[in-house]
Amino acid sequence: MAEVALPPPRHRNLLRSALLGLSWGWLLALVLVPNLLVLAASLLNRDPTHFLQLPLTLDSYRRLLDPLYLRVFLDSLALALATTLGCLLLGYPFAWALSRIDGRWRPLLVFLLILPFWTNSLVRTYAIKQLLAANGPLNGALLALGLIDAPLELLYTQGAVILGLVYLLLPFMILPLYAVFEDLRPELLLASRDLGAGRLATFVHVLIPLTLPGILAGTLLVLLPALGMFYVADILGGARVLLVGNIIKNQFLDARDWPFGAAASILLTAAMALLLFAHRLARRRLRDGEAP
Amino acid sequence: MKPLLLAGTITLALIVAGCGADREPQVLNFYNWSEYMPQEVLDRFERETGIEVVYTTYDSNEALYAKLKLLDESSQYDLAVPSTYYVSKMGREGLLAPIDHGKLHGLDQLDPQLRDQAFDPGNTYSVPYLWGTAGIAVDAAAIDPAGITSWGDLWRPEFRGRVMMTNDVRDVFHVGLKLLGHSANSTDPAQIEAAYHKLAELLPSVRTFNSDAPRMPYLEGEADIGMIWNGEVVTGRADLPTLTYIYPREGAALWLDSFVIPKNARNPEAAHRFIDFVLRPEIAALISTEIGYATPNLAARKLLDPAVAADRTLYPQPEDLVNAEFQQDLGDAATLIYHHYWDRLKAGR
Repeated sequence: MAEVALPPPRHRNLLRSALLGLSWGWLLALVLVPNLLVLAASLLNRDPTHFLQLPLTLDSYRRLLDPLYLRVFLDSLALALATTLGCLLLGYPFAWALSRIDGRWRPLLVFLLILPFWTNSLVRTYAIKQLLAANGPLNGALLALGLIDAPLELLYTQGAVILGLVYLLLPFMILPLYAVFEDLRPELLLASRDLGAGRLATFVHVLIPLTLPGILAGTLLVLLPALGMFYVADILGGARVLLVGNIIKNQFLDARDWPFGAAASILLTAAMALLLFAHRLARRRLRDGEAP
Repeated sequence: MKPLLLAGTITLALIVAGCGADREPQVLNFYNWSEYMPQEVLDRFERETGIEVVYTTYDSNEALYAKLKLLDESSQYDLAVPSTYYVSKMGREGLLAPIDHGKLHGLDQLDPQLRDQAFDPGNTYSVPYLWGTAGIAVDAAAIDPAGITSWGDLWRPEFRGRVMMTNDVRDVFHVGLKLLGHSANSTDPAQIEAAYHKLAELLPSVRTFNSDAPRMPYLEGEADIGMIWNGEVVTGRADLPTLTYIYPREGAALWLDSFVIPKNARNPEAAHRFIDFVLRPEIAALISTEIGYATPNLAARKLLDPAVAADRTLYPQPEDLVNAEFQQDLGDAATLIYHHYWDRLKAGR
């Protein structure tokens, strides 16, 4: 079968070079070059008519050291971490249950998990806003049931922002976890029980180490986007919290201070690169641990 | 169904090709705010003149400015609609072509109070399109509007957590500066800082900042009092009849959006024809009715539904506008100072 399907070797090489060239070209033109442009912009001076001008300077980075911006950065990080924790607490048992369900139903359930992506995330964020509003359906139902006397203040709170982010990013946590749970051999858990480990000990010493690659991948896939999705905080948090994304957008559009916006953007990219690097290190540790 | 679709496409292609054959089709590239021009007006203009309108939208003056500035040489747009302070900024930076007043009819019908303003003396670069005010909105079901006369009322302790502000640095500082008796266009760092300290006291009361649709927090039941644009009240009253508009005594914020023609426009002729078309009283009246903002065209105002023309929310009495002020371009240094304090205000909490 395979021999029939594949083109002759010479063509295959050509195809491979073409595909490789395409993906490298893509990365070069749409990832590397724009990032270098942003880096260059962050090192220039601002100019009232042309946005940027020479000479080179580190002034924008110096201005980022203002405790105000450190606080904004820490706020953004705290919000992203809370989101990640929420996704992990919900996603872990979900992925486990998904891997234990009758195989016939699993494709359908995974499909349902991905289905919301067919709707734009901005539209879904506005939908959550409607649900949480003081005269929205949730407060309406609670009032009708007599559980509360006045509408709860749900919208425009930190909780609403975290709820929105968890809702939007949960599949990114579940899918990598589901992948490791599917590969997990149930005999290992049985062996642990046979050797006298209780439920908690099995969970801590067997299940968590075995699913750690999935936990790490999911954490990364949730944490990084959560750092950048400032529009969720704007819509559900009432734009009262300033995040790194807001600073970048404000500086580029409203204040027209491109170097400063670029410097904030570089800081965010550097923080993400650091997290990716930590992830790599952790994975290598894991693999080395398995090898012998 | 499919053959029908195919036949339709071919017919369309033939029509397009046919048009191209006898003469170059005229195109007007029109760059406008979203939901800011009725489709009917575009259709009627196309039918009458044969000029095809390519309609593109933006959602902020800043986006419009960046686009025109960066694509300065590519002459992508023939017509745009910036607000006052961007007209002056773009005019000063040489991004705009002068308007040929000889090609326009009915300029003298425009409200003299909105013509020949400081942002564009003699209307060299701009022709007023729609205008409005930013003042105080109150949900009369929760708060008696009669007791609200001042921007300072937003600071009252009983409104804590029920106040809404637009998410716009100039709007919000307008409130702080006016309340302290300064101009909303102050460039004095000490005055801007004082306004920041005043606004910082208001922040715990603010439930939300919203510039996407400032009527929504009132409709959602999340806010009872705060800042709003008058047209949003007109739209919002359909769902919340108790939404009431108040002109604060320290002065509302005035805004005016005007037609301008970019310096490198490819078809300034078509742009002039479109402006001329919109200056017709019946077209201006149609736009004002559909879009829900006030027209500067006095002849058009006579054609409006009397109930609309008499609506003080849209068409204020002279006493409503005492102390009201247009936003001016502040220059670069002052803009940075405003943003410095805006970030502080938002991150301070």
